[in-house]
Amino acid sequence: MRRVVFFLRFLKWFTARQMRMHPWRVLAVVLGIALGAAVFTSVRLAVYASLDSFTRTMDLLSGKADWTVMRPEGRVPEDLVARLRSHPAVETASPLISSYVSISEKDTQPFLLIGLDPVLDYPLREWQIDSASGDAAQIWLDLLRLPHTILMSRPLAQQHAIAAGDVISLEHVHQIARFRVLGVLEPEGLSLIEGGYVALADIATMQEFTGLQGWVDRIDLRLKPDATEQTVAELKDLLPRGIDLEAPTETKESGRTMIHAYQLNLSMLSFVSLFVGMFLVYSLVSLNAASRRRELAILRSLGASSELLFATVLSEGLMLGLLGWLLAIPIGSFLVKYLLEGVSSTITNLFVRVRVEKLHLDFWEILLSFGVTLLVSLVAAYRPAHEATHIAPREAMMMHESPAREKHPSRYLVFFGMALIFLAWPVAKLPSLPRFPLNGYFAVLILVVGFSSLSLPLLQWMGSRLPPLLRRIAGEPAFLAGRYVRDAGNRTAISVGALVTAMALFVALVIMVHSFRDTVSLWVNQTLAGDFFLRPKMAGLNQYHDPLPQKVIDGLKKIEGVDLMAYRHLELRYGKIPYQFEAVSFEPLLRYGKFLLLQGDMAKIKGSLIAGEGVLVSEVFANQTGLSAGERYRVRLGNVLLGMPVLGVFRDYRTRGGVVYVDLGAYQKGTGDQRWSGVRFFFKNRNQNLESATGRLRSEVLRCCGKDHPLEMASGLELRREILKIFDETFAVTTVLLLIALLVSGLGITTTLTVLVLERIQQLNTLFAVGAGSGQIRAMIFWEAVLMVITGEGIGLICGFLISHLLIYVINLQSFGWTFLYHVNWNALVMSLPLILATALLAALPAVRLVLHSSPALVLKEL
Amino acid sequence: MNASSDHALILAQGLTRLYPLGSTAVVGVEDIDLAISHGEMVVLKGNSGSGKSTLLALLGGLDLPTRGRLMVAGQNLQKATPKELNAYRRKVVGMIFQSFNLLPTLTVVENVCLPALLAGRPHQEVTNRALEWLDWLHLSSRLNHYPRQLSGGEMQRTAIVRALINEPSIILADEPTGNLDSKNGQAVIELLSELNHKFNTTVIIATHSALADPYATLQIYLKDGRITETGACDV
Repeated sequence: MRRVVFFLRFLKWFTARQMRMHPWRVLAVVLGIALGAAVFTSVRLAVYASLDSFTRTMDLLSGKADWTVMRPEGRVPEDLVARLRSHPAVETASPLISSYVSISEKDTQPFLLIGLDPVLDYPLREWQIDSASGDAAQIWLDLLRLPHTILMSRPLAQQHAIAAGDVISLEHVHQIARFRVLGVLEPEGLSLIEGGYVALADIATMQEFTGLQGWVDRIDLRLKPDATEQTVAELKDLLPRGIDLEAPTETKESGRTMIHAYQLNLSMLSFVSLFVGMFLVYSLVSLNAASRRRELAILRSLGASSELLFATVLSEGLMLGLLGWLLAIPIGSFLVKYLLEGVSSTITNLFVRVRVEKLHLDFWEILLSFGVTLLVSLVAAYRPAHEATHIAPREAMMMHESPAREKHPSRYLVFFGMALIFLAWPVAKLPSLPRFPLNGYFAVLILVVGFSSLSLPLLQWMGSRLPPLLRRIAGEPAFLAGRYVRDAGNRTAISVGALVTAMALFVALVIMVHSFRDTVSLWVNQTLAGDFFLRPKMAGLNQYHDPLPQKVIDGLKKIEGVDLMAYRHLELRYGKIPYQFEAVSFEPLLRYGKFLLLQGDMAKIKGSLIAGEGVLVSEVFANQTGLSAGERYRVRLGNVLLGMPVLGVFRDYRTRGGVVYVDLGAYQKGTGDQRWSGVRFFFKNRNQNLESATGRLRSEVLRCCGKDHPLEMASGLELRREILKIFDETFAVTTVLLLIALLVSGLGITTTLTVLVLERIQQLNTLFAVGAGSGQIRAMIFWEAVLMVITGEGIGLICGFLISHLLIYVINLQSFGWTFLYHVNWNALVMSLPLILATALLAALPAVRLVLHSSPALVLKEL
Repeated sequence: MNASSDHALILAQGLTRLYPLGSTAVVGVEDIDLAISHGEMVVLKGNSGSGKSTLLALLGGLDLPTRGRLMVAGQNLQKATPKELNAYRRKVVGMIFQSFNLLPTLTVVENVCLPALLAGRPHQEVTNRALEWLDWLHLSSRLNHYPRQLSGGEMQRTAIVRALINEPSIILADEPTGNLDSKNGQAVIELLSELNHKFNTTVIIATHSALADPYATLQIYLKDGRITETGACDV
């Protein structure tokens, strides 16, 4: 205990006071760590909030159900409820219909309307009527017996200033209808799903509103306690072909897996800032250990053990990490609010719908952030701490500082760096878990470490070869800067390493994002060709469960001057892999649009596609299922089993999984399903003003079909713009994260230059004494900064190009199943480089001010 | 040698320290034979590079000999483990350096207490003892000052108290007056002499100044790492 007390006292004397004496230096590093920790923590909290919201929704929706009866591509006949209830092992069977609806004339987000049988559902799910709404029993009864009545959750009611007794209009593609709000739900159980924005109706009301008389979305079962596997098998046999019995957790787990994968990807990206912050800690701790070498030697001469020195230097790193984490709390609280919306909308766009209204601070996430920050700081401080143990006590007797010898000659670092660089690609290609490209990220780390290891040898090479040239270009200050950079060793190399990391990741991301965007733009303009798009309102949200009413289809067919491309969209599963099945009219699609094929030759397969003799699958589908061109695709749709060869694989970037295209005619013939999920229009006359034509078409559709049936319509131009906007928003978060990493590395340059100036203050003032002007000293320090930054940028640029390949061909492929066309936007790159250089030069300013601050006479008097 | 080997506090036989430099070696000290008794005041004399500081570093446990034998206070230093050398530096010797070597972020009293705290002694007991010593050396008004706030003489007196705090058997002083004016230098030598007489502490001073000559009981001359002359003195 006494030893602990002594150690803490000693840390206060030796380390804490030293930090107080150099507050700006410490602040720069602490701020760097704080930014990194804040980014890491807030990203994880934001994703966790979405994950929590999604899980909560799924759990509350499943309630106490053991199993769910559902048809992947459609609905379940209602009469199955009675048959299931009659099975001796079934305790309760509750049918459910759910659909997103919106309130007419209100421009707000749609909400989930759940139709259930309050009697049958009672044992499975919880919901209570707010006592302020009136007699709960009576309200309950009214819900059962009165048509077009609903109960609303409290947040939803408050959002629209609705109270019990009010009448509202709700929109669904089947109709617009008026509903009376009977009461408000207590904030518990079912009313908490979807962030608390939900309404309940009796199932008969729901069937009538959505036109689903005789059908339900699913039937949730609760079995008796003595039910066995045999019972489950019997129940499965009871079900008609095409209807499945599955655990209610399947959908939840599938969604959670997708969100987890996204969380991992974003965590890795956000970790970059913390990783760069690690360089800052390393830089400051090793610089401090170097500049206080004599003091450490004195301690040894007084009897301090090498273990004490190790612990002291390590503790300095730990203290910086701790201070950084504490400062991260207010920064993170600000950041998380900004990130929450961006992250949850990205998850909704890419994976599953989430609605996050409140942020929950998860203890384990906070602990993880604390642990990771401290670990990073410990790792950063380890090497300087270890080197401190080699300080000989004898150095206390030396009158002049003995320079720490470089333990690793640069030749060794070159071999080490090159070995890691060559190892990166084989490591990336190792098999990995689906959606978790850990080997890809590890390969990125290897590349970064490998290239960073080249900083020192390159600085030394530049410092040896370039000074004569520098002298010719910029005079003696540049020459001296080159020599110093050569001899400064690890002191400058560490900060350059930080810049390499930030620069490499920034370059890689710029290339990746532009490649991705260009490819998506190509896809959007070719495969998503169409002048006008129409589908039922909220079709995407409702997963295309509700096709266009026949009246609408009849009306659309009468419109002149357009080619219609109708499609039927189903959300299916290939094994456990969700994907989208689309039956389309290939003839107009291939006439007006184009597929970006990865496998297959369109000239050869076009005829077969139009004839319905094969399918096209997306790259994502092919990568996730292993099906490629030439293999057979099979799908069960109700009683019908469709089997066709895969004729080609195409690039596709729609969200929520892979796509399979089949000809609509072949689909309708095979299944008898004549319904349409949506339509694309192509104007026959391509020479007219398409914008005006679109406006006219919109009016005509509204006139013929849109009055009674809410529809979603968008011009092709609007749709393609919206897709690219979502794309840009998705990457806005990642771009901000990397800009923060660059800022952190800039702080590193500032810290290094400042400390190095302090160390050489006598040398620099000696230069004054022998005739150097302040402008020349300033120039020398700027040239040092320039050499450091150019080295960092140069290495970072090359590293960034390699990492971009990893991002596109390994990490994206394993995370999302897609690749894209590699394309470098040189404008963006070229424009960013001088900006980074200018920032780094600004970082040199504090160091310059420091030199010119003290009187040379006073400084030299101490010699 | 001055004392018989049997009763010597410090006994060196064939003591050698070589520093490798590429393919050759620089001689620090070579073939030093030495015996110093308790209570001696020894002055090591020689020009720069004669080996005075090297010998002092070996005696202080700051460095290890290349060959030879070195026994100090019954401890065989060339065979000591790092842990034993730490303990030796804390308890057996007290070092005084030319450039004082006070830790800049510690106050006077903290600098003085440090070796004792490193040795594991209780804080209050150490502080009380330190205050006594500092009072004896007229530093009571400087207890909470940092080294940068002290004069050269005050810094060296602080360093002396630090060297004494663990009541070592031997005080080793490497050019203790090197950074002081003549008045302060004289004061320091007188202080070391007083310690030698009052507490029978063995004091070994490495210096090229003549200030300590009148107080020495033994003078050892070094040149090029070897002892050239040894002379007992009457004090």
